[in-house]
Amino acid sequence: MYKPRNFTILLLFIFSLVGCCSGKTVIVLLPDRDHQVGQIEIRNKYGVSTLSLAGDAVSVKRGDAPTPILVPDEKVKQIFADALSSEPITPEKYILYFLWDSIELSPASSLFVDEIIAEARKRASTDISVNGHTDRCGSNKFNIGLSHRRAEKVKDLLIAGGIASEAISVTSHGEGNLLIKTEDNAPEPRNRRVEVIVR
Amino acid sequence: MKHVCAVMCLLCVFRLEVARANELHIGSVKTLEGKVLILRQETKVNPVIGSRLFVKDTIKTGRNGSAGIILQDDTVFSLGPNSELAMNEFRFDPLKKDFSLVSRMIRGTFVFISGAIGKLSPESIVIETPDGTVAVRGTKFVAQIRN
Repeated sequence: MYKPRNFTILLLFIFSLVGCCSGKTVIVLLPDRDHQVGQIEIRNKYGVSTLSLAGDAVSVKRGDAPTPILVPDEKVKQIFADALSSEPITPEKYILYFLWDSIELSPASSLFVDEIIAEARKRASTDISVNGHTDRCGSNKFNIGLSHRRAEKVKDLLIAGGIASEAISVTSHGEGNLLIKTEDNAPEPRNRRVEVIVR
Repeated sequence: MKHVCAVMCLLCVFRLEVARANELHIGSVKTLEGKVLILRQETKVNPVIGSRLFVKDTIKTGRNGSAGIILQDDTVFSLGPNSELAMNEFRFDPLKKDFSLVSRMIRGTFVFISGAIGKLSPESIVIETPDGTVAVRGTKFVAQIRN
């Protein structure tokens, strides 16, 4: 027979146990959108644990070393249902090509501009990156300028299509970050480009 | 004298606004559900879809809240209900090869998907939790933090 008072003390005792040790972190590695699985490592002063296969999971109780655990797929879907369903759609990336030594778009690429504008509108995007590039013909300094003019040209086209100027950030890479690696001064049409990312 | 003070005050406020507008944003809010707040310095901001995020912002979701954000390097975070995420550091400058992504998952449920920094400089990513630090080599993971 429990006396009510003893029962209360017992409850308090249990709560205090749970209260002091309930803090914990659970991490589960998942494949990314391209079905690739990378690697993560969780570390604290008590130990370290590496996850490298899809579904690998680790639990870390507060003040304890990371410990591998099994978390069934259904459980992952259940615990993370809201976080997973609020994942934003992937940014869309476009590459627009330019004529040699020019800020004029290639005929094929000029057809894409309207598609970019439509995508930006659909997403109500306030975050569009426009990154200018060149091939390795000409000096690096000249190419920084050329890549900047190309990016500004694309920015103007987007603004003409009704996109707010504040939503667009421009960078110019010159001949840095080549799409196709070449020798210096090699002409390469695929490097004469502006990359547009609509987030 | 009073008038001078008033004009000076207005000028100060104006300058602060300009400073804010010129500061580079690090990303934006892309999905929203229920109650979500951004804590920015001493103020609380009610975000809308498209709201910009700045370094040192903390994003908080309420009991029925959830949110998804995309950073400038295409890193994705999403938060389930009762969650809190602090964006402590973010630098993404491929030209100068200067990268940094430091954020703290304080409580709740999260999805993390690495972006360009995860490809170009994975060692620059540090995700802190109350129970340890996560290093990321280009991938997606989920985390649940109970306090």
